[in-house]
Amino acid sequence: MKITINNKEIECQPNKTILEVAKENDIEIPTLCYQEGFEARAVCRICLVEVDNKLLPSCSTKAKEGMVISTESKKVLEARKINTELLMSKHIQSCFVESKEHELCKIAKNVGIRQAKFDSNKKTYIVDKGIAIVTDNNQCILCGRCVQACQMQNVNAIDFAYRSYHTKVTPAYENKLDDSVCVNCGQCLLACPVNAIYEKDDTKEVLKALKSKKHVIVQTAPAVRASLGEEFDLPAGTLVTGKMVSSLRKIGFKKIFDTQFGADLTIMEEAAELIKRLKENKNLPMITSCCPAWIKYIEHFYPEFLNHVSTCKSPHDMFGAIAKSYYKDKYKINKKDLVVVSVMPCTAKKFEIQRKEMKKEVDYVLTTRELARLIKIKKIDFNNLADEDFDAALGLSSGAGTIFGASGGVMEAALRTAYETATGKKLEMLEFNQIRGMSDFKEGSIIINGKTVNFAVVNGLHNAKEVLEQIKNKECKYDFIEVMACPGGCIAGGGQPIPTNKEIVEKRMQALYINDKNNTIRRSHENPAIIQLYEEFLGRPLSKKAEKLLHTNYIKRGI
Amino acid sequence: MQILKNSNFRALSKIAGMKPEEVIELVKKSGLSGRGGANFPTGLKLEFTRSSQGEKYVIANADEGEPGTFKDKLILEKNPNNVIEGMIIAGYAIGSSKGYLYLRGEYSYLKNKLQKVINNAKKIADKLKIYFDIEIISGAGAYICGDETAIIESVEGKRGNPRLKPPFPANQGLFNKPTLINNVETLANLPLIILDKSWNNSFRLFSLSGNITKPGVYELESGASLKKLINLGKPKNKIKAVYFGCSGGCLPYEDIALNNEAVKEKGAMLGSCAIIAVDEKHNIVDVATNIAKFFEYESCGKCTPCREGTMRVLELLEKISLKKAANEDLELLEELCRVINETSLCGLGQSSTAHITTALKYFRKEFTDKLK
Repeated sequence: MKITINNKEIECQPNKTILEVAKENDIEIPTLCYQEGFEARAVCRICLVEVDNKLLPSCSTKAKEGMVISTESKKVLEARKINTELLMSKHIQSCFVESKEHELCKIAKNVGIRQAKFDSNKKTYIVDKGIAIVTDNNQCILCGRCVQACQMQNVNAIDFAYRSYHTKVTPAYENKLDDSVCVNCGQCLLACPVNAIYEKDDTKEVLKALKSKKHVIVQTAPAVRASLGEEFDLPAGTLVTGKMVSSLRKIGFKKIFDTQFGADLTIMEEAAELIKRLKENKNLPMITSCCPAWIKYIEHFYPEFLNHVSTCKSPHDMFGAIAKSYYKDKYKINKKDLVVVSVMPCTAKKFEIQRKEMKKEVDYVLTTRELARLIKIKKIDFNNLADEDFDAALGLSSGAGTIFGASGGVMEAALRTAYETATGKKLEMLEFNQIRGMSDFKEGSIIINGKTVNFAVVNGLHNAKEVLEQIKNKECKYDFIEVMACPGGCIAGGGQPIPTNKEIVEKRMQALYINDKNNTIRRSHENPAIIQLYEEFLGRPLSKKAEKLLHTNYIKRGI
Repeated sequence: MQILKNSNFRALSKIAGMKPEEVIELVKKSGLSGRGGANFPTGLKLEFTRSSQGEKYVIANADEGEPGTFKDKLILEKNPNNVIEGMIIAGYAIGSSKGYLYLRGEYSYLKNKLQKVINNAKKIADKLKIYFDIEIISGAGAYICGDETAIIESVEGKRGNPRLKPPFPANQGLFNKPTLINNVETLANLPLIILDKSWNNSFRLFSLSGNITKPGVYELESGASLKKLINLGKPKNKIKAVYFGCSGGCLPYEDIALNNEAVKEKGAMLGSCAIIAVDEKHNIVDVATNIAKFFEYESCGKCTPCREGTMRVLELLEKISLKKAANEDLELLEELCRVINETSLCGLGQSSTAHITTALKYFRKEFTDKLK
C-alpha cells in the first residue's frame, strides 16, 4: 500500500506502525517511551506526527492506505517541544550526567530547548540506595520502560503508584528495592532513558583500598573485554583485553587476573557434578548457577526447585575463594591485607558478594561502566594504551572460559569438559552451534557413554519461568539447563555500557566466540593453571576441599 | 419524568419472544444515543459488539464522576429496576451472559439496594430462560474510572488507567473480550424503548447546580432554552456564565438551545448535560483555577501532557490569580492548553483545558485584568 510522509510517497507493508515505516525509510522520528520488542505504551507523546490536522503518536498508530503524514509540521514541532519541556521540568533538577548524554537531553537539544520553560519539579523524593541498584525518582520521567523491562523479566518488582504528577515508579508498598523481589539484573537501568536508575557506585571504595597499603588484586569477567571499548567510543564488538589489563595496572592493582580462570574452575566442578547427578539419576535436570539474578529469581519464585540448581559458586566467587586461600598462602599475604575486586558486566554480582554464604571472598564488584569511570578519573588515554597480558597463574584461561559471557557459553564449555572427562575421548567438533546466538530458547543433545543427554539454554527470566513450569508439570525432558537472566547472556548485563541493544549485544557475542576460536587452549580441563591448582591444592573436582571452598547453598526466599 | 417509569422487568418477557437482532433493530429505530456524554448511537454499538466473536461482557458505567452531574444517581436511587433490566436486555442483544455494574465509590451506599434488584431480576430472567449474571464492582473515587477503558482495567483488578484505542472495547475490551459499555441513563431507557411505543428520544436529564437556589435534575426536551432551565433553578443574582460540567467548557449566559449542535457551535460541549451556573459575584479566573485543581488532582498520571500539563496549567492560573503573571504567561497557558488538548492519551486530558480555552474566548478581559 501507499502512504505519504513529508510529501514523499512511500510504498509500505500493511499492519505496520507509522514509526516502523518511517524507520524503514530513514525518516527520523524521536521516541522516548517506545522500546523495540515491547508493546508501545504511547505515553511520552514525543513521537507525534500530524495526520489530517490531528496529532497522533507514531509508535502506536498503524499506517493506513493513502495516509498523508507529516513528521515535522509546525504543529508537530510545537507540541513535541512543549511535551519535552514538561518532561525536562520533571527531570532536570538533579540531572546526573554520565559519560554519554542520555536520551531526553538529546531530544531536548534537538527540539531547540535552551532554557527550562517551567520551574523544576515541585516534588522531591528520597533516593533509594540499594546494594546493587540505586533509583532516583527525582530524575524519573515516568516513561515506563523500566516497568516493562521488569515485566519482561517476569519479576515485576516495580510498578506505578499514585496518580497525577504524584505518580511514581516504586516497589510494592513503597518498600526499598532491596526488600522487594528485585533480582538486581539491571535490565531496568539499561532501559532507562534518563539515568534515573543506576548501579551503586563502588569506585570510591576501590580507590580508597588502592591508596591504602593493602594488596589489591582484580579479576575481569569475559564479557567486559568485549564491551569496555564502547565507553571509549570504539565500535561495539572490539576486543580490548590488552588495553583493559594495561589500564588496570596503571590504576594500581597489584595483580590483574582473569575471571575466566574461575570459569574454567567452575566447569571442572560443574561437569563433575553433572556426571555425578546423571549417574545417580538425582536432582535432574541440573540447572546452572553462575547468574546471581537467576539464583535470586528461583529463590523468590520457585524455591521448591532449588535442589535442581548446581551447587557451584559463580566463577568470580570461586576465584575469590581460591584467591583468599590458595593464592594468599602461596604468596604469604595476610588475610586482612588482601582485597579482591571483580570487574563484572553485572549489577547482581554486587548483591551476590554480600550474600552470607559467600563469606566476603570478593570485596568489591565494579561494573564495566564503573571501570570506565575509574579509567577516566585516572585520566588514562585508553585508546592509545599498549596491550598487556594478565598476570600468571590465576590469569591463565581457556577459550571455554571466554564464552561464559554469551548465552549458551557455560553449557558449551561444560559439555566440552563433561564429554571428554567422562568418555576419555576427544570431541571432534568443539563448537555447539545449536546453542549459540541470540535466540532465547536453544536446545540440543549429546551422547555421553551411551546415554543421551538433553540440554537446553535459556536467557531472559521469562524463559526461565517456562522451563520451571515444565519441571513443575513434570514435562521437562532436559538433563542440563543453562539459565542467564539477561537476554543474550552476561554481555547484555545490567553493568554494561549504555546503550545495550540487540545489535550491539550480537557484536559483543561474536567478539567472544572469535576470541575462543583463536585461543590455543579451548577446554577448561586443559588449562595448565587449573591442572596445577588441583594437583597442588584441591585434589580433584568435588573433593572435600573443593566442596568447602567452591560450592554453596541457597535460601528459600519466597514472595 | 419518562426515565423514572418503572418497567418492572416486563420488557424481559417481551424480548424473550424476540430475536436479538430484532431487539437491536428496535433500539436503532428509537434513535437512542449514549447519554454519558459521547452520544454514540446505542443501536450501532450493540450491533458492533454482537458481530464480534466469542465470549462477551456488558458493563454498566455507573461511575458518574463529571462534576455537576448527578442524573445517574437519581436513576439508581429511584428506578434501579430499569438499569438492571437494561443491562440484561443489552446482554441478550449482543449475546453475553455476564455483566458488571461499575458503581462509583461515592455511591456505595446504593450497593445493597442494587444487589437486591439484581437478585430479583435474576429470578425473573432465569424463568424466561434469559441467563445473565451481574456483579457489582465498586470504584474507589477516581474520576478517570469513568473512562470506558479505565473501567475495564479497574474491573480486571488493575490500576485504573485508560488504554490506547484502537482496539475498541467492542472488539477487545474486558479480559480482551468484546465488551459493551453503556451509561446508566442509556441502559435505563432500553426497557422503556422495548415496552413503550410512545417513548420520546428527545427528553434529556439536566443536572443543574451552581449559583441557583433550586439545584436538581430537570427533564427537558433536547433543544430547550438555557434560559428556561436556569429560571427553573431560581437564581438569586444575575447569571454570568454556564459551565457544562468541568470538561465541557463554558459559555456566557445567553439564550441558546440546549442541544449538542448549538452548544458545539459556540465552542463548548453539552456532554452529559450538566449545567453549572456562575453568577456575577464570581471571577472566571477563580472558577478556572478551581476546575484546574480538579484536573490536576484527577489526572491518572499516564501520559506526559495530562500529568505534567494539568499541574503547570494550575501553576499558571494561580500565578494569574495572584497578579504575578505577565502577558507571556498567558500566551504560554494558551499554548499549553492547546498541546494538552491535542496530544493527551484519553478524553480526560483532551477535555481538561476546554474550560480555559472557552473562558479565554468569552471572558478574556477577566484574565488580562489580572496581569502585571
